[in-house]
Amino acid sequence: MSLQNFLSALDALQSEAIATLDSASDPEAFEAARVKYVGQKKGALKDIQKQMGSVAAGDRKSAGMRLNEVKQAIEKAVAEAQSRLSGGGDSGADPTFDPTLPGVRPKIGHIHPITQTITHLTEIMGRMGFEAAEGPEVEDPHHNFVALNIPEDHPARDPLDNFYLATAATGTEKQNVEGTRLLRSQTSTVQIRVMANRKPPVRVISLGRVYRPDDPDATHFPMFHQMEGLLVDTHVTMANLKTVLRVFATNYLGGDVEIRFRPSFFPFTEPSVEVDFLWDGNWIEFGGAGMVDPNVFRAVGYDPEEVSGFAFGLGVERLCMRRHGIKDIRDLYSGDMRFLSQF
Amino acid sequence: MLVSWKWLSRYVDLPTDREELETRLSLSGLNHEGTETPSENPALAADDVCIDLEVTSNRGDCLGHIGVAREIAVLYDTELRVPSPTLEESKTDVTSLLSVVNEFTEACPRYTARVIQGVKVGPSPQWMQDALTSVGIGVVNNVVDATNYVLMECGQPLHAFDHAKIADQKIVVRPAGEKEVITAIDHRQYELDPSMCVIADAQSASAVAGVMGGADSEVTESTKDIVIEAAVFTPLSVRRTARKLKLHSPSSFRFERRVDPVGVEWASRRVCQLIVESAGGTVAKGIIDTAPEIDPREPIVLRLSQLERILGITIGADEVDRILTSLGCDSDAKISSGSGSYNAPSWRHDLTREADLIEEVARIHGYDKIPEDSPIPVAPSSKRTFDSATEKIRGVLTAAGLSEAMTPSVVTKKLDTSLSPWTERPALSTQTAMLKGAKRLRRTLLPSLIEARANNWASASVEADLFEIAHLYLPGETEDDLPEELYAVSLVCGGDFFAAKGIIESLCDRLGTRQSLSVAPVDSPGFVAGQLVQLSLGETSLGYLGVVAPKTLKQWKLSGNVVVAELSIAALLADAELVPQQQIVSMFPSVERDLNFVMSESVRWNELENVVRSAVGDQLKSVTYRETYRDPKKDGKDRKRVLLSMQLQSDQTTLSGDDADALVQSVIGACKKKLDAELLG
Repeated sequence: MSLQNFLSALDALQSEAIATLDSASDPEAFEAARVKYVGQKKGALKDIQKQMGSVAAGDRKSAGMRLNEVKQAIEKAVAEAQSRLSGGGDSGADPTFDPTLPGVRPKIGHIHPITQTITHLTEIMGRMGFEAAEGPEVEDPHHNFVALNIPEDHPARDPLDNFYLATAATGTEKQNVEGTRLLRSQTSTVQIRVMANRKPPVRVISLGRVYRPDDPDATHFPMFHQMEGLLVDTHVTMANLKTVLRVFATNYLGGDVEIRFRPSFFPFTEPSVEVDFLWDGNWIEFGGAGMVDPNVFRAVGYDPEEVSGFAFGLGVERLCMRRHGIKDIRDLYSGDMRFLSQF
Repeated sequence: MLVSWKWLSRYVDLPTDREELETRLSLSGLNHEGTETPSENPALAADDVCIDLEVTSNRGDCLGHIGVAREIAVLYDTELRVPSPTLEESKTDVTSLLSVVNEFTEACPRYTARVIQGVKVGPSPQWMQDALTSVGIGVVNNVVDATNYVLMECGQPLHAFDHAKIADQKIVVRPAGEKEVITAIDHRQYELDPSMCVIADAQSASAVAGVMGGADSEVTESTKDIVIEAAVFTPLSVRRTARKLKLHSPSSFRFERRVDPVGVEWASRRVCQLIVESAGGTVAKGIIDTAPEIDPREPIVLRLSQLERILGITIGADEVDRILTSLGCDSDAKISSGSGSYNAPSWRHDLTREADLIEEVARIHGYDKIPEDSPIPVAPSSKRTFDSATEKIRGVLTAAGLSEAMTPSVVTKKLDTSLSPWTERPALSTQTAMLKGAKRLRRTLLPSLIEARANNWASASVEADLFEIAHLYLPGETEDDLPEELYAVSLVCGGDFFAAKGIIESLCDRLGTRQSLSVAPVDSPGFVAGQLVQLSLGETSLGYLGVVAPKTLKQWKLSGNVVVAELSIAALLADAELVPQQQIVSMFPSVERDLNFVMSESVRWNELENVVRSAVGDQLKSVTYRETYRDPKKDGKDRKRVLLSMQLQSDQTTLSGDDADALVQSVIGACKKKLDAELLG
């Protein structure tokens, strides 16, 4: 057989075999085709291989190479057809392996939403140059009231509005006495401690637990967290205050948030304002703010003619609850995993 | 403060747009809380509405309709109409009918009295009844209603006594006697003490000053002659009295916020005029006044430059002057060359300083005029070490599967006394309970966390593994000391002692503590004997770790094993290296050798570890505990086998098999010599 004839026969076999295998639509047709072309005994490939002997010795190398190519192409077509018809089930995969079963999760704990909020707030204020500061939770009336310009006859000192500590003199059972120590009712106490120990400029936030007698309900708890900001420098104005709070709100809430000031009264700021943010079309109260009262500056040894400053205080719980859609403040302090594991 | 639209309109022309007015009041200091229309409140006349305004504690002047009307007049730049009551007095001098002695000027700086003779007590006129009911005040008779009307008109509380019931026609302002009892007009009895001020006659108390009148001297239908009291009582005295007696009234509310010391006389005249109009009678000549001289107020200098310095905007001199004048300030020296001088009106006790005037100008001018594009200069800020450390602590603990809880700082006696590893001193207490029965400032977080775990188990069968970072309050040496507030990280989890210890070891590792963690058993009730240890970093006490005793768990209805730990964050931080420094890794291969020793049960792992370490020296890269095995039949009673692995490596050269063998031999020798530990084949 001439080389030419052998090669044409190979080509014809390849086209026919691949066409037949590709068109095999059921296992029977496939098996018939398989036996016909690659069967060990009478397969067409075997037959044509036998004819190699009749090719001239000098051409056998080219004939052999071509034969190998054709053989591989047909075997590939057999494998593909087999895989196609058996749905891959016979590919050696373990049929009991179900990749859609749920993964095995590592047990990872959750960080409390209040901590997450505090971290977020600290980060936003940090970008504006405010550093965190802390002070004690048990305070004396000097830091909680006197230095904050809250005089002795001010209702804010009332024992019913504060957690004064009992002493042996008052007895643990006696109530309604203005004591010498109390759980702080605001984080403004930290401002006093910071200013008393530092020269201006001062730019700090204080964050922490504060305490006020309140019957617990969905929006009240006798223990909560405040974030208080303080900026004192040679030329600080209410316009700076408004700007910082707007930047804060825009950062925390996203989008360009409108804010407004309503007059209010706090002994340690003058002017004093309530700050509202416009959220989903409603004005939401977010906290108090104002320009540091000259008496507060005097109490810490600053000259109110030399420096000015602003202070603001926001309730952390309110920000946290609004952000996460928490409806009941008591959940925050329940230690209940069904709550904690959602954050 | 409830105000009636109709009532307000007597003093000021009201704008047509009520909602706009409400918003402007909110934005200038009287926060609008709500408005009731006649359909919502049947007590209102058809053409009236009742507006609820929140008045801050410094603005006692707005606790009357005139005060609110004045704010509106200033905002809308219109005229305020205040009545000028005049009286036709009889020839009888008031001092011939009554005497007043003030023995308690600290509580009562000014007391005035007028007498009206021959009144006919009956219903008050309809317009007055309508006005009172519109703001929720009950109607009594033409005398009492008139006092309430003037109260709601100008904010000055007034009281009317039946002249005939005043013993010896003598009023004494004095401290109450010890345990003196008065029956108030609510017909309940109150026991008084000498810190309280009473208005008495020659015999007994007729009223608790500024708080409530007494039943004995109240005006009835048979009353003919009346005494009108208009006085100033000090806020602190009234507040403390009202609190102690749990007796709060519209009068005490106003005295607590200060009344107009000058307006007292006006109010007295005004109420007499209204009573005579509706009840007849004649007003005796003159007024008894214990302190008619009112000290003039210091003028306040206001600099326009200060307005700009504080507010960040410029406000024109004319506008500043208009605002202050219409608020009632007098001025001898209006603003010229940048500053002016003002006298605040008597009803504005809150205006004493330049800063106060700046606020007045700002709030009326409008805070909306203050721009919000005035950035502060940049300044660096760095994260506190404490915050970096707690972030790492939270990272390790959450990775260990613990969730962060926050529990109340003030706990019950039961919780407080259940455990106190840090101090023997009794806990500090609050006077009032923060939550049900909780008065003690906690000295450890552990009971709170055990309680939280118990609650989780009870409510949802969840085995809660929790941690908390919060203050402990460790009482100082003396009672007057502020407590030491120690930041602690505490945890509660299931599993065994070593699982919890492993968490703490990882924590120390991650914080880069330099000294090794050691344990020393301590005895304490509530823990499994021998399984509570004090943890130390070097010589410094770090905290406690222990397995809770089954009996304690039973009390909490907890099942399984519960381990707790509490560490001082200060102690952790003192030894921590929060910025890790790279250690050079040896380039030479290491050799691993396992050794199995049999030794007495009393030998502790740390002893064995120390012997191995000192026997090898620098070339010991690590020694790892593998397991303990006990077989009394083979090894004898009280003996154990401990398998350990050593990793040997040199920084200078490749360790040969012979080198390693020599090191192993020295370990075997040292263990034999120091611990009587034998190597097993």
